[in-house]
Amino acid sequence: MFETLKTYLKRRVTKKNLPITAFFEKFQHILQTNNMILELMADMNDKSGGDYVFDRQYIISACREMNGLVDQLINDFNLFSNYKYKELKEVFLRIAEEIENEISGKQIPDSPPYTLGIDGSGVDMAYRVGGKAAILGELFSRFGNVPRGFVITTSAYRLLIEQNQISEKISSINDEYQRGILPACDASARIRQLFENARIPEAVTNEIKSIISRKRYADVSRWAARSSAIGEDSESSFAGQFLSILNILPNGIFKAYLKILASLYSESAMEYRLETGLNENTIAMAVAFMEMIPPEKSGVLHTLAPQEPGEENMVISAAWGLGAPIVSGKVRTDRFRVSRTPPHPVLEKDIICKPERLVPASSGGCTIEPVPEAMQRAPCLTNEEIQRLVEPGLRIEKYFKTPQEIEWAYTPDGKLYILQARALNILDGLSEMVCDISEAVKDHRVIFKHRGEIAQTGIASGPVFLVKTDADLRLFPDGAILVARTSSPRFAAVAGKATGIITDVGSATGHLANIAREFRIPTILNTGVATELLSNGMEITMDAEENIVYEGIIKKLCLYEFTRQPFEGSHEYRMLRRVLKKIAPLNLTDPRDNNFTPQACRTYHDITRFIHEKAVTSLIYIELENFGKQTATIAKRLETSIPIDLRIIDIKDGVKQAAKKNKKISESDILSIPMRAFLSGIESYGWWDTDPLPVDFKGFMSSLTRTFSPELASPRFVGLNLAVLSREYANISLKLGYHFNLITAYVGKNMNDNYVSFHFQGGVTDQVRRDRRAKLIAKILERNDFMVEFKHDKVIANAKKFNMVQMLSKVKMIGKLVAFTRQLDVQMDSDDQIEKYFLKFNRLIRNSVSNSEIEEKNPNP
Amino acid sequence: MTEKPQKTILILDDEDIVLKRLKPALEKNGYSVETFSRSQQAFDRIMEKNFDIIITDLKMDGLDGMQFLTLVKEKSPKTEVIVITGFATMETAKESFQKGVFDFLAKPFKIAEIIETVKKADAKLSNS
Repeated sequence: MFETLKTYLKRRVTKKNLPITAFFEKFQHILQTNNMILELMADMNDKSGGDYVFDRQYIISACREMNGLVDQLINDFNLFSNYKYKELKEVFLRIAEEIENEISGKQIPDSPPYTLGIDGSGVDMAYRVGGKAAILGELFSRFGNVPRGFVITTSAYRLLIEQNQISEKISSINDEYQRGILPACDASARIRQLFENARIPEAVTNEIKSIISRKRYADVSRWAARSSAIGEDSESSFAGQFLSILNILPNGIFKAYLKILASLYSESAMEYRLETGLNENTIAMAVAFMEMIPPEKSGVLHTLAPQEPGEENMVISAAWGLGAPIVSGKVRTDRFRVSRTPPHPVLEKDIICKPERLVPASSGGCTIEPVPEAMQRAPCLTNEEIQRLVEPGLRIEKYFKTPQEIEWAYTPDGKLYILQARALNILDGLSEMVCDISEAVKDHRVIFKHRGEIAQTGIASGPVFLVKTDADLRLFPDGAILVARTSSPRFAAVAGKATGIITDVGSATGHLANIAREFRIPTILNTGVATELLSNGMEITMDAEENIVYEGIIKKLCLYEFTRQPFEGSHEYRMLRRVLKKIAPLNLTDPRDNNFTPQACRTYHDITRFIHEKAVTSLIYIELENFGKQTATIAKRLETSIPIDLRIIDIKDGVKQAAKKNKKISESDILSIPMRAFLSGIESYGWWDTDPLPVDFKGFMSSLTRTFSPELASPRFVGLNLAVLSREYANISLKLGYHFNLITAYVGKNMNDNYVSFHFQGGVTDQVRRDRRAKLIAKILERNDFMVEFKHDKVIANAKKFNMVQMLSKVKMIGKLVAFTRQLDVQMDSDDQIEKYFLKFNRLIRNSVSNSEIEEKNPNP
Repeated sequence: MTEKPQKTILILDDEDIVLKRLKPALEKNGYSVETFSRSQQAFDRIMEKNFDIIITDLKMDGLDGMQFLTLVKEKSPKTEVIVITGFATMETAKESFQKGVFDFLAKPFKIAEIIETVKKADAKLSNS
């Protein structure tokens, strides 16, 4: 029995203890699969940039490959971590199913959500919210001055039809009409009755009630409802065919909803569908409910006068009161002709007598009332109001890449609202003008072409504005083209003003690229020569489709863009973007955060990030817990002039093979690329001889365990400085003085995989000084193109997708920063110390070793 | 306007995104472009007019791309045909070349690639 007990214990022990080499190999395999996934993600993003022509088949095969890789990654990780996070598989399957639904082009589901806030209703969601609401959603998110509101989705429409069992009845009546048996007016009346008498499903009314009762709509007393249908090219073809109902009381919402649904089968709509052969099964109706804005005046802005597009004018029509009659053309209005060229002078004014206006009635609905005498002949808009309208109008045009018809309203207190925007059809007028576009560009010198990567397609022209410092950003003029060396996320600050972006370095999948795509600013990154060849004030035209930068403003090229339907509006393009939304965005950013869990993963990128992080920390934790005595042979001490006890764990090729059997590792044995950069940073700063002031150890310990993650709070790790290395990877946890630094970096050949993240948390001294120190560190990091978050004394920063040289220079800078901050607290007596030390650090970096020295230090691959 | 007549191109592909992406790119390079998403309509058009270059997908509803290619070559042997497809295999490539295709591009491809191919076809036409 004694023997069996022994064997039993032995077996239990060996189950936990994978041989170390196998353990590391599994880890390495996880890293490799992770890389392949990131590469594929980057590839898919590239294809969505416009440089490529892809088709549905590409999306399908890329997604299947992605699914396969993520599945494999999870399986490997489960084995590695002993199924500690087995929920990951469920999360993966859920996301995979969502992606599958997108690709298979399933018809509109009848599943929730039945309502969506206007802020969540961008063009990607057009199949759920319809064309009009999708545009409103984009306007709301990008430009802001759109009334608050929500949309009852196409799913609600489907559910309503199902539950009321009217689908067959509608089909048969429609069929009779299409075959000529039933006249349009009868068929339409009958179908509309079916809708108006229908019962709205409880699941839908519940969601509606719930959304209206939210705080943000608490003060909305009147609603305006607009139809928003889907179908082929719904944005233009259904314009004006369905119903809008204004000034609805909250208890009138359900009735208004049914009425608008019914308008899907108005006579004209039924006739239109018969004529164009549109498949009844593909149409559905969503309804947008927006806060009713009682206007003083409203009207329509055409960003390009439809009759003479060559003249380059905008036309504004305006009347007192509500704009509905203006849109339908029933009422005569003031007309203003404004130049498209800044400063947008008003070229012509045609003011008429306006005896009546449409206003909201107190009991709901609208009514016509007389306009006060004094206002009848007064112009509806002042010059200032015209200017305030023109600017967003042109920006909206730029965003949708086509001239717009924009409905607007001004309230009595002077606030401007945009109520709708739709593409203007001016093809005929322009086509002749831009007949041979290649001729138009011939006279303009090409400054450079086919350099770098296109992050966002489009055509832009304007003056160059070089951005070198933060001060430059603050001076950025409206309508200029931003030209800079790096692609820093800081440029987001001028996203509303820049008409184009060109940089020397940067990745088309990095943060700035994402901003460019969100705001649809034509952007070319990583050209290498932009700051060299483009000078401040130079007027250029950038064609970020063919990737050519011309000297001078080529008006015809800009107009040409209007005559082309942007491929971003195509079905396949939107599908790729919807699918990418489930793959690429990263929501899990901070491993120290409470929501760093499998359940919080929304995308494949979240899953890979989670696995990567857990695999690394598991490595440290399991490693030292279970291998006990073997730790001494695994975590080797680093021989260095820096007075810290730093242990090294090599995963694979982080350390020279020959050195692995030694008791200690010298710096020259280190092969890990980021580690070498980090060490060179610390060393080049120089080290103080003085030690930090002694502190109450117990207090320090308690602060440590309170704030740090469980793995690292284990007594085993207190005072243990650890670097886990592989050739391209380093995970360094360092306690210097009483500051805790965690540096994680991956630096390899593929720019898209590169990242460095830096966590700093300080101890000791009073709150105010700690805050100052954190502010200083944050400032330094931001200056070096990091994305920084900080709260009190905790700083979290990361930089990603820079090329190897730049990345290493940042890692090295972190090395210096870590050394620099070691003694800082004592000196942070006042806020101006922040500026003083900021400048001091800047000087230090400038005087530091050049990039070439870093490359020199890297051993040959 | 132009001194020399523009070369004409017809593009046939059932996917919107391809047509919308290719047309402006080719027009900016000085070509006159007509696009079609249904093979029947494209077929009717080539009966009316001879195009210098035709770019076509293979797998579409209705008329098979391969058949279309054969018909084009019959009616207008001088027309250079470029095949673009998302289902590139050795067999289809071989078959296309046997039927006289000028070049064969697998999707996804870079805009620059197709422009280059069109320019080569253009050059060949000019020299003959």
